[in-house]
Amino acid sequence: MGLATFLERTWSGLTGLVKPRSAATMFRLADQYRHEGRYEEAADLIAEGLRVAPNIAVGHLLDAYVHVVFREMPAAKTSFRRVLSLDPYHPRALFGLARIALEEGDIEGCRPFLDRAIQYFPDFPEAKALQEMVATWSAPAAASAATVGAVNTERLRLPQNAHDLILTHADGTLVFAQGSEERQRQLSVHMTQVYRIASATLARAGLGAMRRGVVEGSSEMTFIRSDGGVILGVALPHEIEVGAGLVQVGRLWTDLNIKS
Amino acid sequence: MADPQTAASDSATPHDSGAGSPRPSRAQAFRETLFELIRLDGVRGGLIVTPDGLVITSELPPRFPVEALAALAATLGRELELGASRLDRGAFRTALFSADDGTVFVGGSPVGYVTLVADRNVNMEAVRTALGRAVDRLRGTWRTAGAA
Repeated sequence: MGLATFLERTWSGLTGLVKPRSAATMFRLADQYRHEGRYEEAADLIAEGLRVAPNIAVGHLLDAYVHVVFREMPAAKTSFRRVLSLDPYHPRALFGLARIALEEGDIEGCRPFLDRAIQYFPDFPEAKALQEMVATWSAPAAASAATVGAVNTERLRLPQNAHDLILTHADGTLVFAQGSEERQRQLSVHMTQVYRIASATLARAGLGAMRRGVVEGSSEMTFIRSDGGVILGVALPHEIEVGAGLVQVGRLWTDLNIKS
Repeated sequence: MADPQTAASDSATPHDSGAGSPRPSRAQAFRETLFELIRLDGVRGGLIVTPDGLVITSELPPRFPVEALAALAATLGRELELGASRLDRGAFRTALFSADDGTVFVGGSPVGYVTLVADRNVNMEAVRTALGRAVDRLRGTWRTAGAA
């Protein structure tokens, strides 16, 4: 017997001893890995499982989850949609698409997913929390010269190196902002979203309405103040302490003579 | 037990808390990180939630709406992450939001978001600093996982 034949028979014997894993087993193990934070291993198993069984909804759902963890949102969206093509009322796929729509700023696109998820699964606290949050959101009113003109920016004592000063209504209507038109738009959208989601989180935790906020990026800090009607934000150098930054934004609040 | 929301067990249920699942070493590190933070003065409890909304670990007072809070915290963490990137403010690290009756802290990492619920009079700077250290540790965990 030649070496090649010997190796072939040995390999054949070895592979015959190994029972191939079913797709269900692979998905179950992938899910376990996901719970353990072993996302790369989970992703490999999911890919393998989907090669064996491409029409199992849970495989695509797990695939979507792993894409979300890796912040691969277009791929996650595709996988969530694939789940719905196999199971149109899958609550987790509906919820996943709702969350992606939300982070894309597509509030109107988000609502139907949440409504459908809760329609078929009323006991779904995560979806209910988001549904209640977005239910109160309204589109920003058209910006008018009158609202912009109401703010006296000449009295402002802007701290050194302060920038991205913004004053907006809680519904997203911009009152005043520094920077280019595009920068103002980005600031307004982000500030409003942060305020809305943070307010919902504080309310859900039973802590009341949001008054102050501090967001730390690796290069600067953003300080926020609100009375529920308007939101004031300003970016300051990263080195500033929380207390000092809040004093600064409080001073700006006073300078702007904001009344509830 | 595997996550009951996936079809590996039951695709029809929407639940995804993951609470009570077996956790080997890295998950143990997540739990220890959270335990350290909730021992700080004025911190009532907290949780770590992944960007897809899975609760990795949670230590909140009884009757606290864990699932709802996790969904909101993951949404908030993601918005803070996206905003920092879009506005060129560097990677999102920590945030705090205070109300009349308390403060919520959020720390961002690739693994997920650390959320703490604290009293009104909590030392914000102390908690933020500790949270920043915890976030750095979680980043290290992610890098280790990536290298494995």
